Amino acid sequence: MEVLLPEMILVVSVVLAILVPNIGDAKFRIPLTRVRVPIFVGGTRLKGTSDPRLPALISITAFSLAMFFSFFGVSADSSAVEIGGVLAVNSFSRMMSFVFYAALLLAAVAANYRLPARPSARAPRERDSAAQAERLVRSLMDNRRQVDFHILLMMVGLGMSLMAMASNLFFMFVAIELASLASYILVAFHKEEAVGGEAGAKYFIVGSVASATGIYGMSLVYLWAGDLDFDALAASWAAMDGYDPLAVIGLGLMLVAFGFKVSAAPFHLAAPDAYAGASSPVAGVLATASKAMGFVALLRVLLHVAMPDEGEAIWFVLLALIAIVTMTWGNLAALTSENPKRMLAYSSVAHAGYMLAALAAVGSGLGDDSTTRLVLVAIIFHLSVLVLFKLGAFLVLGLLEIEGRSHRLEDLHGLAHRDPLVAGSMFIFMLSLAGVPPLAGFLSKLLMINGIINISAGTGSTSADAIVPWAESVDPVFWLAVAIVLNSALSLFYYLRIALVMFFETPESTKPLRRATHLRNSIVTLAFLTLAFGIGSGADFLLELVQNAVSAF
Amino acid sequence: MGESKQEWDRLLYLIPFLAVVPYLIIQGESSTDWAWLIVAVPFIIFPIIAIAGQIWNGHDTWVNRFKEGGIIALGALGLSLSAGLWLIYDYLTTQPSLRFTPDPWSWLSFDVLTYDGEGWSVAASGFDFFGLGLYLDPLSIMLLFVATFLCFLICWFAVGYMTTDSINDNSNHRFFAEFVLFSIGMFGMVLADNFLWLFIFWEIMGLCSYLLIGFYYWKKSAAYAAKKAFLTTRVGDVFLLIGLLMLYDIYGSLDFSVVFDDPSTGVGGAVVSAAKLQTALLMLFIGAIGKSAQFPLHVWLPDAMEGPTPVSALIHAATMVNAGLYLVARMVPFVDVANGGVAGMEDLGLIVAWIGGITAFMAAAIAFVQNDIKKVLAYSTMSQLAYIFTGLGAALWLFNTGNHEAGALVFGGALFHLFNHAMAKGMLFMASGSVIHEVHHAHDYLHHEGDDSEHDHASHHDFDAQDMRNMGGLASKMPVTATAMMLGSMSIIGIPLIGGFWSKEVIIGKTWYAYFHGADALLGPALLILATAGMTGFYMSRMWFMTFAGEPRNELVEHVHEATPWIKTPLIVLSIMTALGGFGLAVYGAVEFLSAEADYLSLHGHTLLEQIIHEVEHAFLPEDMQLRYVGWVTILLAFIIGPIMAARIYGGALKEGEQAIPLVHWLTSLSGKFGSQNVDDLANSELAEALQQRLYFDDLYEGILARTIVPFAAFAAWFDANVIDGAIKQIESKSVLGSIQIRRVTTGSARDYILMAAIGTLSIFALIWGVNA
Repeated sequence: MEVLLPEMILVVSVVLAILVPNIGDAKFRIPLTRVRVPIFVGGTRLKGTSDPRLPALISITAFSLAMFFSFFGVSADSSAVEIGGVLAVNSFSRMMSFVFYAALLLAAVAANYRLPARPSARAPRERDSAAQAERLVRSLMDNRRQVDFHILLMMVGLGMSLMAMASNLFFMFVAIELASLASYILVAFHKEEAVGGEAGAKYFIVGSVASATGIYGMSLVYLWAGDLDFDALAASWAAMDGYDPLAVIGLGLMLVAFGFKVSAAPFHLAAPDAYAGASSPVAGVLATASKAMGFVALLRVLLHVAMPDEGEAIWFVLLALIAIVTMTWGNLAALTSENPKRMLAYSSVAHAGYMLAALAAVGSGLGDDSTTRLVLVAIIFHLSVLVLFKLGAFLVLGLLEIEGRSHRLEDLHGLAHRDPLVAGSMFIFMLSLAGVPPLAGFLSKLLMINGIINISAGTGSTSADAIVPWAESVDPVFWLAVAIVLNSALSLFYYLRIALVMFFETPESTKPLRRATHLRNSIVTLAFLTLAFGIGSGADFLLELVQNAVSAF
Repeated sequence: MGESKQEWDRLLYLIPFLAVVPYLIIQGESSTDWAWLIVAVPFIIFPIIAIAGQIWNGHDTWVNRFKEGGIIALGALGLSLSAGLWLIYDYLTTQPSLRFTPDPWSWLSFDVLTYDGEGWSVAASGFDFFGLGLYLDPLSIMLLFVATFLCFLICWFAVGYMTTDSINDNSNHRFFAEFVLFSIGMFGMVLADNFLWLFIFWEIMGLCSYLLIGFYYWKKSAAYAAKKAFLTTRVGDVFLLIGLLMLYDIYGSLDFSVVFDDPSTGVGGAVVSAAKLQTALLMLFIGAIGKSAQFPLHVWLPDAMEGPTPVSALIHAATMVNAGLYLVARMVPFVDVANGGVAGMEDLGLIVAWIGGITAFMAAAIAFVQNDIKKVLAYSTMSQLAYIFTGLGAALWLFNTGNHEAGALVFGGALFHLFNHAMAKGMLFMASGSVIHEVHHAHDYLHHEGDDSEHDHASHHDFDAQDMRNMGGLASKMPVTATAMMLGSMSIIGIPLIGGFWSKEVIIGKTWYAYFHGADALLGPALLILATAGMTGFYMSRMWFMTFAGEPRNELVEHVHEATPWIKTPLIVLSIMTALGGFGLAVYGAVEFLSAEADYLSLHGHTLLEQIIHEVEHAFLPEDMQLRYVGWVTILLAFIIGPIMAARIYGGALKEGEQAIPLVHWLTSLSGKFGSQNVDDLANSELAEALQQRLYFDDLYEGILARTIVPFAAFAAWFDANVIDGAIKQIESKSVLGSIQIRRVTTGSARDYILMAAIGTLSIFALIWGVNA
């Protein structure tokens, strides 16, 4: 079982997070006697266990260890280990869990400042002023809720990681729900703020509908194939004569569920509300890890199961249209968003559109094994580096959120004067999101466009010496790449607007940012990695890792 | 004393930089493997200086310890110099066969589409020419030395020059960052193994030239000069780019290793047409004309003297302006028919030589009437570069007519002149900087001692520290500077046995040789540069006499003295280099080495004495009688007639009681012994006026531009503002409208979201059904 070490660590940490803060000097009196047996759970907490920072410590340690061991799983020999017929641990699933854990680790670190634990918090006294009393009560509440938050984070991690390993449709659904339910609560975690509760409720309702649709689709698929194992499903799909309505309807319904997870149009509508309502670290997790989870599910279902050996897949035109609508919708809506979090949410929708376009290109059936691999590498690479710059951008907002501000563009005004390093990092994140060389976002977008172009290579009529007849003769797949390029141009506008206000507007307050050492360090590290994974040996290293993972898909 | 000791303490910061290369040598590394350091270190350092300068601007430590970044720049250039010297040493001793080191690293390698004539296919790893390799041959080795050595010395000079002038306070980091950026361009261009990279680095230099000429951007004249330089060289650069595209069209590559391998065979084995190749090379030559300030794109160089003096010394005298020469010198493999070049391009050589001859003569004539010490040097630079162009032109002609031996000789001579000129001119500019600096300080001193009345302020602004009419008799005040300037001028004039003599003689002699051997059209350039030799003797002597000899023409000369050691050290180093270097290298066969006829710098198996006698005999008594006459006429003009005329008009002994050091004293006293001549009539003639107005070229260009480009630019501005911006604004407003529309869908109500999801689900099925039906 040592292949599941990272998940074991998480399970143990969840148990620890429940138990350890409760350890105290409680004694149990055996009835009718005076003998008191120490049972250690309850009573007055010990000095060490009463520290409210303990849950954060446990979760950060657990995520670090899990990330560490996952990393070894990626680089290790990629022979798959099957467990119980539902889990397949190989370098692909390890790569994905590495990405998930990295995102969650950063969220755990950032949450320390959004939801601070104060060992010195105490109950308010008579002589305390009202404001002081309220502050004390709030910090006591924060202390109490530490455990909940970090347990939920770890459950999200556990669900996502198991999901990446699932080799069975049903088990995958269970794992997704495990992660999703935990994330619904995380979105609504700040229930004092009306917007948080509302966002959580909306996200939950729409998510439940999507999940229900999905599981209905799965049941249809089960009716059709009599099996839910991916390999068996793929064999049935290949053996299918024509298109069985049960299978196709099942596939369509599952697309709805996973489309919601990756926030593809028109299922994305709850996402901006959820991101804006959630605290920034949680929104960052939704935009990166949760999206990656949805994409893994899509890859499994579309490429593993519903991809014919040759010829066009049934979902090709559908996915291509969804991709174009998604990216255009995301970019257009982001254009006038005055709330940076919503803007990032829409940008995340647009990014989903880019990846869906690459995926759709595979469905055209024009490519061969190597081009399919190229696209897969591009998507996984993009999902991996998204953790750097998308989550990084959310962390910057998280830094502002400590002051209770990050929902207006004005809050970013003059950030460069208040903290040049953080503003510089934010600038790098924005450029990377827009896909400016030599940053990681450029490389991933380039790989995707390159993949699409490669797939459409050879379709245009070479005898056409003018652009118009050539454009008419080229396969529609080619236009997916054009759509990505045009959308990227559009997106530059709102990304650079962030840079503009950070560097050229006068700040509303000249106070330096609240001190948040670890968060600040994380942001700067992410900015550095965004650069490092975009060019040179860093990019080669990550690409090799991703290629290794993709070969095990 | 304590002060200057403290100054030298700054040099301790250089140790880590200078220790790198010795460490690598001890580790047994190979110099070519580490050659990238030469370019990479400045590349890392320049943003550091710029950013640190912004952060700690005016901070005490930054200003006094780091000299506003000067020390860091010096360290980076020192590291480049040491790596360069290591490479040069290895090349000269052990690796003479190393002509190509294609060692490209590629930034990104991914599949690209290629069209193979029948269809598109995926070719593995494209973008090969993104690789940056190293190309070493005697030419690049020599220029590498010139560039690294002078960058280091002039940076040293600049540390003293820039940081002691209050006008530069708190902006020196800008200077040093741009200075270091410039050095990247120069080093990279010299080492690049590919015309494309050469062009990229060429443009970096152009940018830095622009930035540094406009260093005092608040001065109207400086901003104007910067713009002028940038735009004028841009004209050449456009042609250069066209030439490169044509070359790419012919050879299918811009790699030296591919192009030079067999210049007569183009892409796919096609036979290269001489006419087409010649057109491409002429386009490159126009680029070279722009960069090296030759007629008719010469107008920017004199104005470029608005930049700080170290910039003039480095960029506009010693290094960047040589880029054009380097480019022309790189054309040799194309035309050298003895080594597989393409025959039938004699016209190229003739055009190059004519442009050179015309520029040499014209610039020398204009230099006659300049009173600004830096302007004299600027015209002198133009004129000397033109010499080299004439030599290269003659070489190209000789190569193309199959006379490889003579061509190689004049080619080597021209490159040798490039070397001598760079050393001497770099030093002359630094010496002029030293003079200007001290005159300026003396002026400040005089006017701050007296009361600070309004009148004084006015005179302060009118005063021109560069005007030689305010000087005279400085020889006794500034011994080091006077000596340096004397040696530099001698080298430029071509006084026998000193520096430039050895190379200039070869150029003039061989151009005449080419004329005697069939190139009738070279008579013009040959006569022009012969005349220019005498004119050079006149205007260089005039500059020296006006500055250092005679009686002081301004009271402030009394207060001039040489101060900071930062300024003196490079002058001393370069004086020795100029005085002895030319002769020494000539004896060691520099001409043969530079023309790639010999692999090593060596005595060719003779003893030192034999070789010296051989060289001297060869210079003064060549076997060919015609060349002997040419040689003697040159010496007569340059050494006797020119300087004596200058001495008659401008020379004179120092004031009574003033005593200069013996090295220059003989010259001041000698200059007073030729009597004096009044040239007022001549100075007021129309010819002098025309020369003062630079032969009206600037007026002509401005007139033409005002009638052609300016209306067109106005139209372009209108087009940009209305059509292009209008289109963009339309896109923007339409996008914003679309954005607002599309965001209406996001109502905030979960019910609507689910409705949309339901619509989406139905659409999915409609689509699947529609596609498959």
